[in-house]
Order: sequence, then C-alpha cells, then structure tokens
Amino acid sequence: MPAASAARGAFPPGGAPARRRRRGLPLAGNAGIGILVIVALAALAAPNVAPRNPLAQTLADRLMSPGTRGTHGEVFWLGTDGLGRDALSRLIYGARASLAVASLAVACSGVLGLFLGLTAGYYRGWVGAVLMRFVDIVLSIPFLLIAIAVVAALGPGLEHTVLVLGLTRWPRYARVAFAQTLAGRSREFVEAARALGGTDVRVMLRHVLPEVLPSIVVVGTLEIGLMIVYEAALSFLGLGVQPPTPSWGNMLADGRAYLATGWWLATFPGLAIMVTVLGANLLGDAVRDRLDPRVR
Amino acid sequence: MTTGATALTVDLQGDPATLDPGRQYDTNSYDVYRNIYDNLLHRNPQTSAIEAYVATAWKAVTPTEWHFTIRHDVRFHDGTPLVAADVEASLARILDRQFNSPQYANFSAIASVKATGPDTLTIITSRPYPVLLAQLVNLSIVSKAYVQAHDQPYANTHPMGSGPYRFAAWLRGDHVTLRAVPAYWRGRPQIDEVTFRTVPETATRVADLQSGRAQLALGLTSDDVKTIKRDPKLQLLGGATERVAYLAFNALGPGPLRDGRARAAIAHAVDAPSLIQILLAGYARSVTELLTSRHFGHDPKIPGYPHDLAKANQLLAESGHASGLTLVFTTSPTYDQRIIQAIQGQLEQAGVTVRIQSYDFGTYLQKIQSPQHDWGDLRYGQWSCSCLDADGVIYPLFHTGSIWSSYSDPAFDKAVDDGRSTLDAAARRAAYSIALNVLQRDVPAVPLWEVVALYGADRNLHWHPTVDEQLFVADMALGQ
Amino acid sequence: MGRFMAGRVLQAVLVLWAVSTIVFVIVRLSGDPVALMVPQGTPADVIAQMRHTLGLDLPLQVQYLRFLAGLARGDLGTSYVQDAPALPLVLQRLPYTIELTVAAFGLALAVGLPLGVAAGTRRGGAFDRLALPLILIGQAMPSFWTGLLLILIVSVRWHLLPSSGSGTPQTLVLPSITLAWLSLATIARMSRSAVLEEARRDYVRTAHAKGVPPRRVVVAHVLRNAAIPILTIAALDVANLLGGAVITETIFAWPGMGRLAVEAIQARDYTVVQAVVIVGTAIFVLTTLVTDVLYGLLDPRIALAGAPS
Repeated sequence: MPAASAARGAFPPGGAPARRRRRGLPLAGNAGIGILVIVALAALAAPNVAPRNPLAQTLADRLMSPGTRGTHGEVFWLGTDGLGRDALSRLIYGARASLAVASLAVACSGVLGLFLGLTAGYYRGWVGAVLMRFVDIVLSIPFLLIAIAVVAALGPGLEHTVLVLGLTRWPRYARVAFAQTLAGRSREFVEAARALGGTDVRVMLRHVLPEVLPSIVVVGTLEIGLMIVYEAALSFLGLGVQPPTPSWGNMLADGRAYLATGWWLATFPGLAIMVTVLGANLLGDAVRDRLDPRVR
Repeated sequence: MTTGATALTVDLQGDPATLDPGRQYDTNSYDVYRNIYDNLLHRNPQTSAIEAYVATAWKAVTPTEWHFTIRHDVRFHDGTPLVAADVEASLARILDRQFNSPQYANFSAIASVKATGPDTLTIITSRPYPVLLAQLVNLSIVSKAYVQAHDQPYANTHPMGSGPYRFAAWLRGDHVTLRAVPAYWRGRPQIDEVTFRTVPETATRVADLQSGRAQLALGLTSDDVKTIKRDPKLQLLGGATERVAYLAFNALGPGPLRDGRARAAIAHAVDAPSLIQILLAGYARSVTELLTSRHFGHDPKIPGYPHDLAKANQLLAESGHASGLTLVFTTSPTYDQRIIQAIQGQLEQAGVTVRIQSYDFGTYLQKIQSPQHDWGDLRYGQWSCSCLDADGVIYPLFHTGSIWSSYSDPAFDKAVDDGRSTLDAAARRAAYSIALNVLQRDVPAVPLWEVVALYGADRNLHWHPTVDEQLFVADMALGQ
Repeated sequence: MGRFMAGRVLQAVLVLWAVSTIVFVIVRLSGDPVALMVPQGTPADVIAQMRHTLGLDLPLQVQYLRFLAGLARGDLGTSYVQDAPALPLVLQRLPYTIELTVAAFGLALAVGLPLGVAAGTRRGGAFDRLALPLILIGQAMPSFWTGLLLILIVSVRWHLLPSSGSGTPQTLVLPSITLAWLSLATIARMSRSAVLEEARRDYVRTAHAKGVPPRRVVVAHVLRNAAIPILTIAALDVANLLGGAVITETIFAWPGMGRLAVEAIQARDYTVVQAVVIVGTAIFVLTTLVTDVLYGLLDPRIALAGAPS
C-alpha cells in the first residue's frame, strides 16, 4: 500500500472537516475512557473484586449455569466451567492478561516503529527505501506463522505473546512516522536546525519527534483494541496465556468445547472482549479526531 | 444414488491424510481406508482373539519362520484376484526404506517376505517376533499391479482395494464418499453409500446428529453424554478400547522425582476413580497396571496404587518433602486439559504444588523425547500400540534408551527383552509378570484408567464399537 | 507507467524471495515433522532413518539451495503429511478461500454500504441513533467469538444451518457472515462518515435551493468518493486471506487455504507451510499492485504526483 494513500485516510478530497476546538474529548471518547478505566480498575483490584479464587476447582460443581447455587451455598453469577471454577472470578482476572498484553504490545511496537520510521524518513535515500521494503516484507508474513514459530522456539506464554505482537505490529507505526517525517513542515525544521549546526540525533529528537508523536499516539490508541483481540486469538489457539491462568482468549477456547453443554462459557468472555475493545475504539477514534484526522 | 438405497454419514474429527494404507499412520485415514482395503487378519469383535480373514491359516514352523495360507476368492475392485504376491507387495513396500512408511517400525522385525505360491506366503523374521500376528491385523492389502502401474500421488488419491466399499469421491478437507461392493466376499454390505465428513468441532458433530446431517459421530466426550441421552432420536455407544491413560514421571531427570518414594507418594495422592466418576461421567474403567485385561501379558495380581492421602504424606516426608514439593507438569493442548488441571487440583491437596507447562505437540514430543531428560516432572498420556500386547506398551514406555522412557532398570530390561524373544506364550507371560512387578515397585508411572470411546449415533444405527476402534462400516446396519 | 510497473514487479519478486527465506528458516527452527507422523513406540533409529530419507538431516544451506532450485522450477516439494506435491495441494484449496472472502466482502458491501448511507442521510434520526451504536459494537466483536455465537445459536440450538463443510449454499452462510462482520461494520461507518462529509458541501445547498432532492445528489457523489476508501478495505480484506479467514475456516471446518496453513503448521509440514505463505504473499503483493494502479486511475492527483515508491 503506498504511503501516500495510507496517509490520505477515509476523508475525500477537500481535506479534513473543520471542528470546533474544545477542550478534552467528545462524549464518545469519554465513554471509551470510562470503559477502559473500569476494566483496568477491575483488573488491578481483582483479588478484592472477584468473589472467589479463579483457580479453585470444585469438581462437584462442574458446568453450573449462571445464577445457580453451588454445593457450599455460594451463588455462581456467571456459572462455572468444566472444572467447577467460578466463571465471574476468572473473567475479572482475565482482564489482567488482556490489558497487560495490549499495553505492552502497543508500547513495544510503538517505540520500535517510531524509531525505525523516523530514522528512515530522516535519512531518506536508500536507507528509507530499504526500510520501507522491509516493512512490506514483515507485513506479508502471516501473523499466525510467526506466532507459532516463536512459541515453538521459546515456549508459549504472556511474554512471548507480547514479543510476537511487538515484532509484527511495528510497521503500522513505522509507516506513519516515515510519512510524517518526510512531510513538509518537519522538513523545514530539519533543514534549518542542521544549518544551525545541530547533530542528527538532536535534531530528530527535538524537532522531528514532537511533530510525529501525535500521529503515533493516534495509531497506538487505535491499536489497543486490536491487540486485545490478537491476544485473545493467540490464547484461543493455545499459544498465549497458558491454563490454568485465565485469559479471555483461553476461556473462549474452553467455551468452544462446551458449546452444547455450557453456553455461558463461550458467551461472557467474548462479551468482555467486545466491551473493552469498544471502549478502546471509542477512545482511539476520539483521539484521532482530536489530534490528527488524517491517520486511518 | 438410487432411491431406497441406504446412505450413512459419519462425522470424523479430522481429514484423512492420504488413502494409501502404507504412507501414513493416521486414525482419520485409517477410519476411511479400512473400508476400501482388506486386512490380512482380523480380531473377533467380542473376544478380540485373532481370527482368519484374508489369511485362512498360519503356522510358525520355526520361531522365525511363518507360513500363511491366503483365501482364493477375494477380488480387487477392478476384478483382478487377490493373491499371495499382493500380500508380499503390501509388506515389501512398507519395509522398503525408500518408501518411508511411518509403519515401518511395526514390521521392522521382518527379514523377508515371499509368495511361495498363488495362495501361500512365507514370512521370515530376524528374531522371534511374537507380535507379528497382531501387527498383521493392521496390514491392508494393496494390488501389486495397481501400485506398480500408478505413481504415488495417484495411488494416494485413487485407492483401489478388495474391501467392502469402493472409492467414489474425495474433496480434501471436506469429505470422502465410498460405495458398497455388492460382490464382496463376506457378503453385500447393508449400507450402500457412506460419506466421511471432517468436523473438528465437537459441538458441531453433536448438532449434526441432532439435525440428522450425520448418523454417527466419533470422538464425543463425557460432557456430551447428557445431550445425546436426552434426544430420543439418538443413542450413545460406548466401547472399551485398548488405550490406557497414565501419568508418567521423570525418574531420570534432575527433579525431585528421581526418588521412588516421591513417585509413590504422587501415585497415592492421585484419585483416579474420582476423576472417572466426575470428569468422565463414569465412562472409563480403573486399571492397576498399564495394560487392560485384554492385553496379552496382563497380570491380574498387580495391586496398583489406591488413593491414600495419609500414605502419600508419609512417603513425601520420608523422601524429605514434608514441607511441600513443587513439580512441573508438561503437557500439550492435544491432551484433555480438564484431566491435567484436575490432577493438579488433587495434588494440591497433598501439599504438592504443580506448575503446568504446555507446548504445542511437536515441541512437546521433542522435549519429552530428548535424552537429556530435562522435560519436567510429570506428563499425562494415553498409550495404545494397536496390538493388544504388553510388548507394544511397556517396552517402548520403560525400556532403557527408548525415546519415551525416563526410567531405567536392568531387571525390567531383561524381563521385557525375554518377553519379546520367544513365541512361547507361557514363557512370555512369566516374563511380563516379572516386568510388571518391577514397575509396581518402582512407580515410573501411574496407570489411571482404560479409555472408553464414546460415539453418538442415530437410534436406527445397529453397531457395536470394537476394542480396536476400527470403523468397519460393513458391520453396521441402518434401519428400523 | 512502464517504469512504475517494472519497479513494482522487481519489488514483488524481492518480497517473495525474502518471505520464502524467512519462512524456510522459521519453519525449520520449529521442530521435527517425522516424530509427529509415526506410531507411538517407534524407536529413535527408525525416526532418524526417515528424516534422512526426506533429506531433513542435511545441513541447512544444502536444504535451502535445494529449496531455491525447486522454487525456480515451480516445485515446492511434497507434503510430508498428505504425501502430495505441496503447491498443487495449496492451489486446490485456494478457490475455497477466495469463495469465502468474496462472499464475505460482497455481503459486507451489500449490507454495510446501504446501512451507512441510510444512517448518514438521516443523521440524528431514529435509524442513525440505532445504527451507529450497532456498528460500533460490531466493530468490537472478535471474529472467533462471532463465529462461536453463530454456531451456538443457529446450528446447535436451532439447527437452522450447517456449521461445517462446504458444497451447498447453506454451508457458506455462517462462515461468510462471521468473516464479513468486521468489514461490514467498517464499511458502514466509513460510508456514513462520507455521507456526512458530502452533506456539508456547498453544492448540496445549491442543489437544495434549486429543488433537486439533496439525497440523490449526496448519494451520487458519496459513492464516487467512497470508492477509494472501499478499495482500501477490499485490499485489506485480501490480506484477510491469510489472517481472519484462518480462524473462521478453522471454526467452520471450511476446506480453504487458511485452515490448511494452521494444520500444516501444527504438523510441521514444512513444504505446505512454505507453499501457503508463498502463495498468500504472491496474492497479497499482486493485490497491492493492482490496488495501486487503480488508485492511480481513480485519483489523477496521485498519478500526477509521481509513482509513490
């Protein structure tokens, strides 16, 4: 995909719409922040919020439907799974894996992509061309293949999920950083600063970076939702967070085996993913509209 | 398909890899081509005893030389008669290293095979091979002329055998269709057409049964039992198998299970009957050794390890782990994770902390088969040799140097070596008794249960699953 | 244009070579296929012999040179699992993935575009207030969850539609809905935004003053301007050939290329994995090329500015 069209985005010729400048974000963005904050708080305070230990098995209470009472008198609000573990508690603890992976993956790939794209755009010439070809190559490798290869070499788990996502998502950021660095305004700054005798690194950090950063932030917030889904996808395939540690993805994988006998096991983790991703998307869109509508 | 013809749809868990009987060792492939080809020998569906089939008689004239007599009224689907030369060719191609058959190890003890007449065959083994007949139960006979006339890709996708069904169509990844052979030598099959569909999702297989899209579904779990039983149109078929579930220990590795007392402690801490009752809904049978009662070499006097937490704690204290023990449970998603996690839960009660490490299957095999024996402490598995013989089970699992073995004992090695070097049944039984007693004492593994395979079927399907789990459609009937 | 094409073709070849090399190495680092093919109890020496016959114990460089030589001939080796030439195996499954992707994209377009346009032209109205949240929710649902829900409700509970296999039109329904879900929501959002954009323009007010129904004007212009972003989505959807389709094909047992890739990876079937990645990359690169050419045709400003590098 040519860099030009990637930067053009969804808006037709005529440019971005004028917006009334307001402080903060519109309602939808605030709603998004609200959702994410609630999920993050639940994840952080999980031991206090979750009614039971997510790993505690009560084989006698296997596959109880939501709202039923167990053998010891407690109510399982979201039911139990195949080993009698409380689905609600597992759901709350599962938020930890999702948010941890999403934030770490965005941070790692964002930093890597920013650095590579900025460097490529700054030096232009063949460095830039080679790097952007490299971007094309990485984008062409199917995500799943890299995931399984990394897992096969290093073993599955949360850290390696972050590694895989970091290695495959940085091109998104690199593209944007590259295009922004090439763009007009930064160019003038750069020429001026160099003429005044600044070193390359200083010019990049003090002049180019601030120009590029807003777009990177936009990409990052837009990516949060996708990272949550990818973590879930990897755990769903058995490559991510390992049982018995709950993750929304591996809970969905469990649920798949019980579609006919425990419908709640496949329903609520997916609902959790949906709500969280919705929050992240609302936030991402609002941030984009505010900072840089040209990013798609 | 003419009207009035009976058609059966079977839902399998995966695709057949190839339909050439010598080129893979894959259950899904076998489930299909078992009906296209005839095997040399056959097991009685009730007693599991080896019976005449394409071979009508056999005799070991010396401990290493066997003579077989072949039926003369069997024809391949192209009309040509099946003769001893075809059996010779079927074995020879598997033994050919260039052919690279995964089944090679099952027949590697065969030094030579020769058709001595149109219906007589001589097999010479390099050492006395008591399991030969059991392996020949799984030998499918191909037409020598056919495999010589066609290249391998064609033979894989256009199988031609002498079995009760002929190949009709195959859409890779989706389904295989077979049609009955009216002139089959054992009689015309009742079911005229059978389609094997690939349906990896268990819930979908169950839904297919309920909607009538399929009349037989394989690989159901104990959790599906209720759903099947609730539906008046369906029936649950449960069949004992020769698969035994077990928990194996790393006795040669750097971990705490080098100590036999620690292993014995774990053995007594696990409550297999409880797992059978609760997780498997009763669909499994307790065993006290790694063999079922139908295996040759089974010793009914082996006591096993009854669930006894007090004894477990005592043994843990004796081996220096009174304050607790941490073990690594190595596994792979291919195994039933409910069981892994339930065992983890049971061991917690004995003060043993278990950390589960899961790898995808290829990596898992690599790790546990490494001669460094650094794969962890515990692993769960199900073993079947498809031979109903102790030699196929305890030899590879525990003999020193075997890639599956993380245990070593010279007395055990001698006993199983003796067991496989004679054809004398009594001598073999005595040797296996010795071997099983060594295993009982040393606890390199805990036998858990004999697996019961669960099938869902239309109420009008008449069929009894067999111990060897062979899906022989000619034995099935569909009707009121 | 000629120089542009030549440059892109060269780049495509380079990308294909680089991708095949990376896949070649990664796949061989991931483990041994033979151990997965043999019965339990097969001794180590037999496994070693089988690896030798397959050429898997040769040094990596030798295997790589053989691979390159085969690649030049169009021979991507033989599948260890299915015992058939790898490239034809993959190409045989490709039409099913294309069928699914085309059906999904068609569905996404046929439902998403009118939905978005209708919401945009009735901005703030009841329809829009209902449609927008639904669209946002739809964009937040992971495809494997949507698929599982569809199986649960439509197949398991109501027995309305099959959830596995292929061949009949009914088998196409659930998988294409699952795959279309995200694209549908995105197209709806995008067309809604595009409509809102157009509605602001001066010529709309002029047309309104003249008595021309603004809706018709908007729709005609919107569709023309939405063509480019829709093209973007179409190109991204083609990337789905190896991405989202994989999970959808797995859940619904659809006999496409994506499911073949997952099974081949799990079985360490090197040759098939290589073939799938190479074919998939070739399709991706080809689609990108075609998309860029179409961009140039649709929007002269891009073409005039010179070929984007």
